[in-house]
Amino acid sequence: MCDAQVKLIAWLDRELSPEEAAEVDRHLRGCQECRGRLTSYKQVSETFDAYCDMTVATKARRLVSHWVPVLASAVVAAIAMILVLQLRRVGSPPVLTPTVAVTSVPAISVPVLKSDAAEPAPRKMIRRRHAVPPVRERGVKWQPTETAVQIAIPAEAMFPPGAMPEGMNFIAELSIAPDGSVQQVRLRQ
Amino acid sequence: MSDDSVPLALPLLRLAAGSSEVTTLYRELRKPLLRYLVCLGLSSDEAQDVVQDAFLSLQRHLASEGERENIRAWLFRVAHNQARNRQTSYHRRFSEPLDGEMDFVADDATPEQRVLEKEKFRRLAAAVRLLTESERECLLLRAGGLRYREIGEVLGMAVSTVGDTVERAIKKLAEKCNV
Repeated sequence: MCDAQVKLIAWLDRELSPEEAAEVDRHLRGCQECRGRLTSYKQVSETFDAYCDMTVATKARRLVSHWVPVLASAVVAAIAMILVLQLRRVGSPPVLTPTVAVTSVPAISVPVLKSDAAEPAPRKMIRRRHAVPPVRERGVKWQPTETAVQIAIPAEAMFPPGAMPEGMNFIAELSIAPDGSVQQVRLRQ
Repeated sequence: MSDDSVPLALPLLRLAAGSSEVTTLYRELRKPLLRYLVCLGLSSDEAQDVVQDAFLSLQRHLASEGERENIRAWLFRVAHNQARNRQTSYHRRFSEPLDGEMDFVADDATPEQRVLEKEKFRRLAAAVRLLTESERECLLLRAGGLRYREIGEVLGMAVSTVGDTVERAIKKLAEKCNV
């Protein structure tokens, strides 16, 4: 055992004063045992560093695996919403005309219907369609009366390093009403 | 979804609108802080929360004309204390066994290299579990690039004690790992 050994790690970390460092330098030139120890300390420091990186990467991967089902279900929900919207748009004209026709045919509630259904009946139908599923309202329609908030979040801020593959991006568009509820969620790449 | 994303986004917006000094520090120190916290035992989610809170504290600190020296140590200390406050997860600690699911080596390594590397990290993980709390914390902060003086500020230790603790920890690991 030699005296300089106790300062090897501080020397490695450049924490010694210039005088102390010079002393260790001189010692290392003549002591093979200490050079071997120094190599060992350096290697274990590097291994520890790599171990930290892998701990982070492993936990980040776990986080991604937790988010995959959530993102997948969000995408599925978004696609389903779009499909429903499309179907409604395509199917609405034939659906609307028969209902107007039907309301005029039955004589059961004639006094009630006739008072309203002469002209304003179709307008009522449209209003109900918007009121029941407010999510389907198009942004353009409610924007003038309600404040739209746009928030841009960089992917690297949301996910830990390594969680988001390089070059992969997606944009989540949230339309938030003044009361804080989300009106629309749209994911696109 | 909206519950999670909105509070996450607002601090970021405030950070983005803040001083360029904070933005520069955020870019420089976000990853080292995340690494320290995750290795300390926090989940990735928890670590991100703590880092964001730490930077918001920094912004308030700088806005109130707080001391500008040793900001790196200041940030790590704030993050470290917040991690300590999250006692439940903090006690999961760095020694949490991760061996089974780790990708130990690069994809292009041969099967022999994989086995050797895996064994090396398995031994290191076992040795790390034998370290004391302060030894582990000193090594993690050292791996984050902090000087002994800064480590002392984060952990409330004298610089000489930090030097002794780092030395003891590295020697223990070297002895157990035989590297």
